[in-house]
Amino acid sequence: MDYSRPQRADRLAADYVTGTMRGLARRRFEALLPAHAALRAAVRSWNEQLMPLTASIPPVPPPPRVWQRIEARISTRSVATAARPAGWSALAFWRGLSAFATVAAISLALLLASPQPAIAPIIVVLEAATPGEAGVLPASFVASISGDGRALVTRPLNVSVQADRALELWAVPPSGAPRSLGLISAAGATVVHRGKLLDGVAALAVSLEPVGGSPSGTPTEPILYVGKLTL
Amino acid sequence: METSHEEWSQRNRDLAGLLARAGLGDRAAFARLYERSSAHLFAVILRINRDRSHAEDVLQEVFVKVWRHAESFDAAQSQPLTWLTSIARNHAIDGLRRQRVQPRIQPLPPHGGAGPGDAPPDESDPYDNVEDTRPGPLELLSQASQARAITSCMQALNAQQRQCVALAFYNGLSHAEVAEQLRQPLGTVKSWVRRGLLTLKNCLQRSMQTGTASREA
Repeated sequence: MDYSRPQRADRLAADYVTGTMRGLARRRFEALLPAHAALRAAVRSWNEQLMPLTASIPPVPPPPRVWQRIEARISTRSVATAARPAGWSALAFWRGLSAFATVAAISLALLLASPQPAIAPIIVVLEAATPGEAGVLPASFVASISGDGRALVTRPLNVSVQADRALELWAVPPSGAPRSLGLISAAGATVVHRGKLLDGVAALAVSLEPVGGSPSGTPTEPILYVGKLTL
Repeated sequence: METSHEEWSQRNRDLAGLLARAGLGDRAAFARLYERSSAHLFAVILRINRDRSHAEDVLQEVFVKVWRHAESFDAAQSQPLTWLTSIARNHAIDGLRRQRVQPRIQPLPPHGGAGPGDAPPDESDPYDNVEDTRPGPLELLSQASQARAITSCMQALNAQQRQCVALAFYNGLSHAEVAEQLRQPLGTVKSWVRRGLLTLKNCLQRSMQTGTASREA
């Protein structure tokens, strides 16, 4: 589909900004944003026009407990940059992370929209490694890697995992052992911040692991999804 | 209530400085940002997520995210209130999706005589449980239109078309929900929303241009 066609971009952005675009279509659209300047421009334009119309909504002061909870949460270190091994496995961490995915995607889009970094983001589609195998859905992930290779957002497309299993993302070099990029959510987007995500990486892979991730540091269970990086 | 575009712009100028300082880790600035924008964002979220405690959770998420991503806000790209409102609406809409995936048990309305299993879905419509003192979506749209001097321009749409846009935008209804509420075919509603939004955008752009021209004159 050609997202650079202005009319198509405008129609999708209107749907997205208004909120009538829902579910999988919404996730897919968010995954496309980092790579399509025309879509980002259209979203920005609709936001600029429509958001000021919310000024007619009479304000409703939230109860004081909301601020107290916010204050309690921001006084600890940011989860996204906190030490990895301990935080990685906590369920609450994943819930929080997938919840802030939208903001992360927006800020990533804003980062990419700013004029300085001219390097285009890289989109990797991870497809089922063994299509048609019994019990494995023909599902996939989309990973968007920022042009500077420092941030990665994964989004599941119709992925489901048993409660006692977790999905782990791996950076696969042309030869040698894959490097863990941490657990990723099967329910929502996951943001991965690393120094150099792309250095010496030929592909991304997702494996099925016990809750908490691979105990050995290498994929222990089957590789479910694979996507090659084509630079 | 003052809803002019100038007032929106003024609030944005105030918030831009606070947001920039919050991005540098200034908690006091972030607290003031919350003070000045939370009532607006809470109201926006509440219209979409009518469950109050759920709306509080959404607001909390929004501000925690804003704190963590304030540094990525680019004042050259968008206005603070536009940025904040779009984040709040996004979370509110995503919250709707999660609520449907994990439905919450809702107490039966007092007038509902039937057992939980007998209640057809349209009789347990959450809108029935909400006090109706707040302005309806069409009223909000017409107030916003007046404030932006686009009322006559918006007459290009009939009342139902305006209602479609207002329900989708202010109340966060999907196409299917708008169609159900207005008892119109889905395809008709989709094209009305589309036409309504385009008209609205054209009206706003024209009003902005003439507004700028008259200020410059």
